[in-house]
Amino acid sequence: MATPSLRGRLARLGNPRKPVLKPSKPLILANRIGERRRNRGEATCITEMSVMMACWKQNEFRDEACRKEIQDFFDCASKAEAARKMRSVQGEYGNLPPQKVNMLLQRFPNKSHLS
Amino acid sequence: MMMKGGNKVLARSLMTQTLEAVKRKQFKKFHAASSEEQATIERNPYTIFHQALKNCEPVIGLAPILKGGRFYQVPVPLSDRRRRFLAMKWMITECREKKHRRTLMPEKLSQELLQAFHNQGPVVKRKHDMHKMAEANRALAHYRWW
Repeated sequence: MATPSLRGRLARLGNPRKPVLKPSKPLILANRIGERRRNRGEATCITEMSVMMACWKQNEFRDEACRKEIQDFFDCASKAEAARKMRSVQGEYGNLPPQKVNMLLQRFPNKSHLS
Repeated sequence: MMMKGGNKVLARSLMTQTLEAVKRKQFKKFHAASSEEQATIERNPYTIFHQALKNCEPVIGLAPILKGGRFYQVPVPLSDRRRRFLAMKWMITECREKKHRRTLMPEKLSQELLQAFHNQGPVVKRKHDMHKMAEANRALAHYRWW
């Protein structure tokens, strides 16, 4: 897919027609890209939490009566935490994450000046 | 958290005095009790300390989440170290604020630790209050995004 062409779009001396585009800044590639939109996840471990709270309601919030439910809740919470870490470390497959791209562009910038 | 102004020496001495006070109280109870109760009385101050703090740890916490211009207290699972930190912090703030001007910190701390060991006392009550609030707000749990 090619980008739409720029021929005859700007106001220049050699251009007879009215300008189509009037850019406020010069059309030069910047050395950073914008961040990706973060997907909002949904809340994890809701079922374990509701089971634990039902147990609390029955047993007057004593912890010794609800050991198993509390242990399940802790296990679910630690698994969710580990999964979240894995997802953030791994990143998305395909393109590079925007932070890595910005790092590379900082090291090898697009020179808009001559010297 | 016990230390103030970097005075580790003072903090350490307060802790050792607390453990000594706990041990003294337990030994007095031991010698005053009958033989079948003597098996149940725990005398090692370190086990009492660790069990008391474990009894004070909250299971679930509350986080303020901004939604629609208002802050809601949403029940949220806490990590292990956050729970331990809250238990220690509640214990220390309780001992600092709610004591008579003349009682010293080791005395008050040993009292609170022994109460927490038996699942009584103000720190365990604070933990139960936190649980009750989380239980009351359980419908807001869907406001979480992690």
